[in-house]
Amino acid sequence: MWDYLRLEVKRTLRDMRFVLGTVAMPVLMYLLFTNLGTDDGTWKTASMVGMAAYGALGAAMNTAGGVAEDRAIGWLRQLRITPMTPRQGVTARALTGAVTVLPAIAAVMLAGGLVNGVRMDAWKWPVIAVLLWLGSLPFTMLGLGNGYRMTSQAMGGVNMLSYLGLAVLGGLWFPVQLFPEWLQHVSAFTPTNRFAQIGRSVADGHAPSLVALGVLTGWLLVFGSYAVVSYRKAARTI
Amino acid sequence: MKTTKAPAVSFTGAVKTFGEVRAVDGLDLEIGAGETVALLGRNGAGKSTAIALLLGLDEPDEGHVELFGTAPQTAVLAGRVGAMLQEGRAVPRVTVAELVGFVAGRYPEPMAVPEALRLAGIEELAGRRVDKLSGGQTQRVRFALALAGNPALIVLDEPTAALDVEARHAFWASMRAYAQRGHTVLFSTHYLEEADANADRIVMIDHGRVVADGSGEELRRAGGGSLVCFDLAGRGTEGLALLPGVTTVEVRGDRARLRTEDSDATVMALAAMDAVRNLEVSPASLDDAFMALTADPRDLERV
Repeated sequence: MWDYLRLEVKRTLRDMRFVLGTVAMPVLMYLLFTNLGTDDGTWKTASMVGMAAYGALGAAMNTAGGVAEDRAIGWLRQLRITPMTPRQGVTARALTGAVTVLPAIAAVMLAGGLVNGVRMDAWKWPVIAVLLWLGSLPFTMLGLGNGYRMTSQAMGGVNMLSYLGLAVLGGLWFPVQLFPEWLQHVSAFTPTNRFAQIGRSVADGHAPSLVALGVLTGWLLVFGSYAVVSYRKAARTI
Repeated sequence: MKTTKAPAVSFTGAVKTFGEVRAVDGLDLEIGAGETVALLGRNGAGKSTAIALLLGLDEPDEGHVELFGTAPQTAVLAGRVGAMLQEGRAVPRVTVAELVGFVAGRYPEPMAVPEALRLAGIEELAGRRVDKLSGGQTQRVRFALALAGNPALIVLDEPTAALDVEARHAFWASMRAYAQRGHTVLFSTHYLEEADANADRIVMIDHGRVVADGSGEELRRAGGGSLVCFDLAGRGTEGLALLPGVTTVEVRGDRARLRTEDSDATVMALAAMDAVRNLEVSPASLDDAFMALTADPRDLERV
């Protein structure tokens, strides 16, 4: 299982589209969005967490592309006739998604600290990174589910839609305060919003709210079940 | 251990249907350890479905399929099987050595990676990215994946489809080298010459069941002895099917082709009819045997 994890992480990191889309892009957007308007220290910190979350979200959802591709080329089928069990295979795939989220988080936080001069207590940096990492798990599950459920073509559209929709709606691109009031209420229930919120609350110096953790755990269960159901359905036809 | 006695592969009355289609329809087949067997049949004869059942990728609706006396999944998880599937394409963003090494590492007693690459004839490609290789090279990488674990049985589903002649020869040389180590090899093909040249035993399947089973020589004989051809020179074909020994009659242009179980008797009868024009007697080719053995019985009655 660990060998499979290592192989898949290697393959993901060699994917230029992945590196540009989920590592380089969020860094660029972060630097752009925070250096266009008035210079405001709090926005630079909030946006750093938001963009790190956005990058993590992209990396997590990218799992879908990898799985759908491996299914289309027959690699998943080939794996089924090796002595690796299906359970090990799908677990390693989920872990791959979790591991490849880390560069995205690290890149934006480095840009915040080194380029934008964001200053926080030293302990907050690792805590935010770890929280964002754990918080991205529901999205890895969503990506995994999409990848097992759909063909490459259908998956591309659906995945992109889930990705952008959740990012914008959750306030990762623009502050939620710019939304009309009713949309702010919807936003409060999105996993993306809560995902960024747990990071921001640490940056602001307090523990993540129980509501945020609750909403995220709920989504983890929902998307986790979705991944399991999709995998079971796909396993017959892989 | 009882399992060491068990055949490598055994199908007992296996049936697999997809909707209305009975892809595998009562397949009985036993393959002993160490045999090299070709599964021969036209497209849609049920070869790939049989292989999917054999590898535990699919389950039979009726009957049993066993590998080494156990369920296919058990044998796969024990590392006794390696396979090259039909629809596999190149795995992107890995090198040949990484990929082969990874698959080898899943098995309890794998081959060393350089050895697997040497057997597959791709030593010099070890450091190359799999997705940058030609079709023939990719095919050999997939062959290396099948044998990397040093499994007791390897299964190759149409391994040479889409290969050019040279690549095909190289591929079969690799396959024979592997079989010579005492491993069991089962491959499917719809090329008769390939089956004849590379297998000890040919199992012909059609409509999802075995229609003939034996060496190439045995099948040629079973497929209806010899072929007698002559010019019709304007005469009709009536009565030809009733001549002694004749099993089928076929007309191509002005030339009649009689498949016969007793060419001497057929020729004598033709001579008596004064029908000998450009007469030619030849042993039936494996092609002819294949046509005779897989033809729909209703087709034979049309003459």
